[in-house]
Parts: sequence; structure tokens; C-alpha cells
Amino acid sequence: MGDITQIYKDYGDRADFLTIYIREAHPLDEWQMKSNDKDKDNVCYVQPKTLEQRINIANDFTQRFKFPLPFGVDEMNNAANNAYAAWPERLYIIDESGHISYKGGNGPFKYDPKEVRAWLAQRYGDVKHAGS
Amino acid sequence: MKRWLIWTTVFVGSLLVLAFVGLSFMAGSPKDALAMVRFALPHMHVGNLKPGDSAPDVQLVALDGKNRFHLRERIKERPLVLIFGSFT
Repeated sequence: MGDITQIYKDYGDRADFLTIYIREAHPLDEWQMKSNDKDKDNVCYVQPKTLEQRINIANDFTQRFKFPLPFGVDEMNNAANNAYAAWPERLYIIDESGHISYKGGNGPFKYDPKEVRAWLAQRYGDVKHAGS
Repeated sequence: MKRWLIWTTVFVGSLLVLAFVGLSFMAGSPKDALAMVRFALPHMHVGNLKPGDSAPDVQLVALDGKNRFHLRERIKERPLVLIFGSFT
């Protein structure tokens, strides 16, 4: 998420951003990863069964990383995830007319913030503010 | 005929074992490979959306857990970058 935060800092005055929190990728009760263990990244959650649980995890995330981007949470019917085939992570750019201009690949292997940066750079030129 | 059947079974079985070993290597361990098949692959989709398509509207919940808004409300006079993901 660090790459995305930097892109937001660089281009946030030119483009709008929206983060959408969807169903968990590696919860404790599904495919828990070693890197999520308490002695490492310490992100141990079960897959939310209620909207309240989902909202709580989303808030943990934004507070832990002081995440500055606008944020929305997918409903428990996973409407956003389903409409955008988003799981486990994916990037899109929608143009001013409401049409999809860029569709990134599925994470983790084809999730590539560099492609979003390249799209924005092509349109607005290279922008690079000092890192945080 | 019987011999033919045995060899086919051995061949298909070997392929399955090889595939599982490969997947275990890719995912990290045999346990991860099983979890990947069970929990990841069913949720991973390419999707039908492609560049040029109208962006589907969906309702989203704000971080306060109460207010709701529509994704398309956020499309204004500038491009909108969407970042889908979760914590783990």
C-alpha cells in the first residue's frame, strides 16, 4: 500500500482516489499466511461475517497505517467485489466520462501500482514529491 | 486392455502429484497449496469488464459503518483511481 499512498501524494491534486475494502484475502480461518503471524506483520483476523466486523477491520487498517486515501467498504453481499472481479486486490482507473480506462490484473502477482503511475504520468507528466 | 488402464492411471496420477508438488512450491508449502485451492481459486476471477466499458455502480459503506454512498458519485471532472484490497 506504500506505493499507492505515494501515488496519491503525487497525483491527488489531479485525480480522485477511492480505496474499496473487500473480503479478506488471508484470514485466520481460511488461508492464513506465515507473514501475517503475530510475530511478523500481526494481521490476524477471521473472515468477517457481519458488516460491523468488516468495518472494524477497515478502521484498524486505516488507523494503523494512517491511510490518507478516501475509503469505502464493500457490503456483505460483496457487490463491489463481484462487479469488479476485484479479489484479492485489483486496480482500476475510471475516466471522467465514467468509462474504464485501465484495468489492472488480479493481485498479488499482477497487481502493479507502477502501471497506474505510468497512466497518470502519461496524462499529467512525471510528478514525484518527497517520500514520507 | 487391463495393462492400458493401469498405465493411464499411473500417468494421470503422476501428473496430479507433479501438479500438487509444483503448487506447493509456488504457494510455500503443501498446506498452503491446499488452502490456495480451497480458499483462493474459487474467489479469483478475471471478470468481464474491459477498458471502454461503463464503470458499474455499487453502493459502499463509509468507515463510520452507517453512511452509504455510490461509487459513481465519486466520478467527477477528473480520473478516478480505484484500489480494491483487504488488510491481510
